[in-house]
Amino acid sequence: MFEQLFVNGLIAGGIYALVALGFSLIYRTVKFFHFAHGIVYTAAAYVAYSLAIQLGMHFVLAFALAMLFAGILGVLIDRTVYSPLRRKNASNLIFLLASFGVFVFLQNLIQMLYGAQILSLRTGPVTEGYHVFSAVITPIQITILAVSVALMVVLWLFIMKTKLGKAMRAVSDDPIGANVVGINPEKTISLSFLIGSALAGAAGVLIALETNIEPTMGFSAILKGIIASIVGGIGNIPGAMFGGFFLGIAENLGIAWIPSGWKDAISFGILIVFLLVRPRGILGIRTEKEVL
Amino acid sequence: MEYLLHILVICGIYSILTLSLNLVVGYTGLASLGHAAFFCVGAYISALLSLNFGLSPWIGLLLGACGAAAAGAVISVPSLRLKGDYLALATFGAGVIVYQIAKNWVSLTRGPMGLPGIPSFSIFGFALDSTWSYLILVAVLTGVTVFVLQRLVGGAYGRVLRSIRDDEIASEALGKHTDKYKLQVFVVGAFFAGIAGSLYAHYITFIDPSSFTVMESITILLMVIFGGMGSIKGSLVGATLLVIFPEMLRFLGMPSSIAAPMRQMIYGLLLVVLMIRRPKGVLGKYGFR
Repeated sequence: MFEQLFVNGLIAGGIYALVALGFSLIYRTVKFFHFAHGIVYTAAAYVAYSLAIQLGMHFVLAFALAMLFAGILGVLIDRTVYSPLRRKNASNLIFLLASFGVFVFLQNLIQMLYGAQILSLRTGPVTEGYHVFSAVITPIQITILAVSVALMVVLWLFIMKTKLGKAMRAVSDDPIGANVVGINPEKTISLSFLIGSALAGAAGVLIALETNIEPTMGFSAILKGIIASIVGGIGNIPGAMFGGFFLGIAENLGIAWIPSGWKDAISFGILIVFLLVRPRGILGIRTEKEVL
Repeated sequence: MEYLLHILVICGIYSILTLSLNLVVGYTGLASLGHAAFFCVGAYISALLSLNFGLSPWIGLLLGACGAAAAGAVISVPSLRLKGDYLALATFGAGVIVYQIAKNWVSLTRGPMGLPGIPSFSIFGFALDSTWSYLILVAVLTGVTVFVLQRLVGGAYGRVLRSIRDDEIASEALGKHTDKYKLQVFVVGAFFAGIAGSLYAHYITFIDPSSFTVMESITILLMVIFGGMGSIKGSLVGATLLVIFPEMLRFLGMPSSIAAPMRQMIYGLLLVVLMIRRPKGVLGKYGFR
């Protein structure tokens, strides 16, 4: 029982970590809550559905194209909505509310295009899982975990080892200083939206393999992503990964005592406690200006 | 005609919600994204009291509002420590938690099945079950809300609230206990939202958790922003226009599977456009900073 819940928590944690990673990456450069990140996740799952099921494309290709689509969608949202707000020097709250607006708009657009019913990306028959100790883990779940961990490693290498990654770190640490030494902040912001949104897209397609696709799926995903980022230490990349797995496991182990309908309430309980007691999260170093 | 009256009743209920949120967000500058939670608490307490204990809806109205006010006191705690978008997130979370309680505490609230057959108000033995009479009740209570709000924000008290909004540190330096004011504002705002909840429950006679989602909170906030933050007239205009406007979609002959998401799409788009073009709203003098 315990092992099974732990494995389930690990799978959920992988997805949360991917969403949190993209969210945190974007937060680092722009310093506001990009709530519409959740709708990018949903949109990618639907695009993968259209390509793989409706058009019969090979799944790996559909997965890659959905990630690309998600990345471009993220950049588009930034260009059309956030960029004008940045020019006006708007507050974080305005960004957050505009982001809610984008989320609501796109979620309902998707619902109009595809309908409110539940769709599935699963094609083959349900295969029997492998037994690891007393837990069962299916091949799909192993794929989810492997792909999400691989993406995290690639992202980490990109940020730490490449020149572009260095530019992103520079902009997040000191935007004016970075500008002075010739790094274009707008380009760097676009880049972080591209990469961060592609990660959300990957998470959306992966979860669609395991469960279902519905227009509202992004809501709970972005909540978990934000909570995981804050718990791990907002803007901190390893923190977001850690927070994702922490939240996934905490939620699933919590089910042992509390009915599963309370999952979101548990996560928000964790969030409020963290915001009040330790707003910089477990791995956060700096205290954010916005938080007292 | 009946339909028109019904829309006006809904306008009244949303006006109370918008006014009460405006006190918190517009006048005091506290970003509260969980207002539907108080609406929910008021509706459920009032409905459950009259269904389970046969209490008069009038007592339910009062106790529902008090229950919502108590919830407001609890939810005000994050506002003492958090600001701006972090406060928005915490109140948003509180809204999700209240929604989940309504949905998952099945033995009390019957969960997603909802509570049917809520009795309506009666006065001196006459049931207020016609839309006409209900409209009068809602109009009177909207009037009361406007009056109380005007008294609150008009005088010295209102000046303190606005000073918290504009510069909290300065108002603390002048010796104002800003924490006390924040708590009071949340309690009063929640109290009126609870009244709106009770009115809604006894009017529709059926409630379920889906009426109290966080989307609802965002819609109420949109009404505040659209009408104008820190403007009583603005709240009335904002709530009325945003209730009536989506109703127009019905007359365009759209099926409800299209009209419902369409309404939400318009709200989403409106929120984005307002944030970019006019964060003050139509009649507001003050925007988020």
